[in-house]
Amino acid sequence: MITTDLDVADPGPGSAAAQAGQPRILLIIPCYNEEASIGDVLTQIARTGRRYHTLVVDDGSTDATAAVASERSPVARLPQNLGIGGAVQAGIKYAARNAYDFCIQIDGDGQHDPREIDALLDAYQRQSANIIIGSRFIDNAGFRSTRLRRLGSRLIGLTLNNLFAGSRITDPTSGMRLLDRHAIAFFARRYPVDFPEPISLAWAMRAGLRISEAPVEMRARETGVSSIDGLKTVNYMIRVLGYILLARLARQS
Amino acid sequence: MTNVIPSAETVVIISGFAFIYMLALLRKTLKGKFDLYDFLMLSMVAILPAGFALFPSLAYLISHLTGVVFPFVVMFGALFLVVFVFMHNMTERLHKLEQQNWSLIQEQSLLALELKRQKSRGADT
Repeated sequence: MITTDLDVADPGPGSAAAQAGQPRILLIIPCYNEEASIGDVLTQIARTGRRYHTLVVDDGSTDATAAVASERSPVARLPQNLGIGGAVQAGIKYAARNAYDFCIQIDGDGQHDPREIDALLDAYQRQSANIIIGSRFIDNAGFRSTRLRRLGSRLIGLTLNNLFAGSRITDPTSGMRLLDRHAIAFFARRYPVDFPEPISLAWAMRAGLRISEAPVEMRARETGVSSIDGLKTVNYMIRVLGYILLARLARQS
Repeated sequence: MTNVIPSAETVVIISGFAFIYMLALLRKTLKGKFDLYDFLMLSMVAILPAGFALFPSLAYLISHLTGVVFPFVVMFGALFLVVFVFMHNMTERLHKLEQQNWSLIQEQSLLALELKRQKSRGADT
């Protein structure tokens, strides 16, 4: 297991942890109006006993998300809502500039159990990959979303696996994922605006980054509703598949 | 090749429109609301019909060369092409601006975070 006893108070590049050769791990938590859940998420992270560095990226929230989060974590406040892609990339840029060895994205709505972070780190130790996705569909345990969304996720996974050799992705829409230094450097330069979870995987595979998965359990979101439902699911699918196809064609040209 | 010449009234109306429209465009360009490229592309709405009205023989020659029977179809085709090129370039510019805006917002928030961190370090020492 990767040791994570780090000095949270000093996340700078010259910290004692970095000098001691321990990996530096940043948890990126993108949030949009998550004042009701972000406090619990940060508490759960603290309870893991692993002193991860955290960065809450407040994506232009209109509620007290930033105020609640800033009591326990550094907060990057985006003055305007950029969407999940912009928020996550801001965190990745922060990780790149502060020389983190890993960054792990987890949602601020309480869907991801911080105890599962160990599963991602363990998988990284075992497997030769640059990105480890926390997959709901390997063990099929815990919350797995609606049947329609599972079907959509499966279709996206099949498309990615068929278009890009060497990948076996079961949960391409999972927002819980680990990036190593190579992946951090890659995504700090360019990150998808639309549908970042599946498209970022296509871009990563196009660039030759290796992707693997670790089984994780997720929970139903504590607050709020998903922005992709009903007819929007069909629109989402068409556009995601189009973007994946574009990524594949860009590799060929 | 047919040779129907536009009436004097048509030439006056189209030329008048072209003159007034281009004056308005020029005024906005001088105020900095448009750049030279915008001015040129938007001017086409006036220049093309005026060109077709003032030089009908040229219009017939172009329609003959392109194999289109009616000169006004050629004119609308040319206008459509100009509009399409303008929209194409505008979309490209918008996308670039969107990316720049996205990056600026991210940089601003990261800089603010860095400043806050340095301030708190300064307060500690």
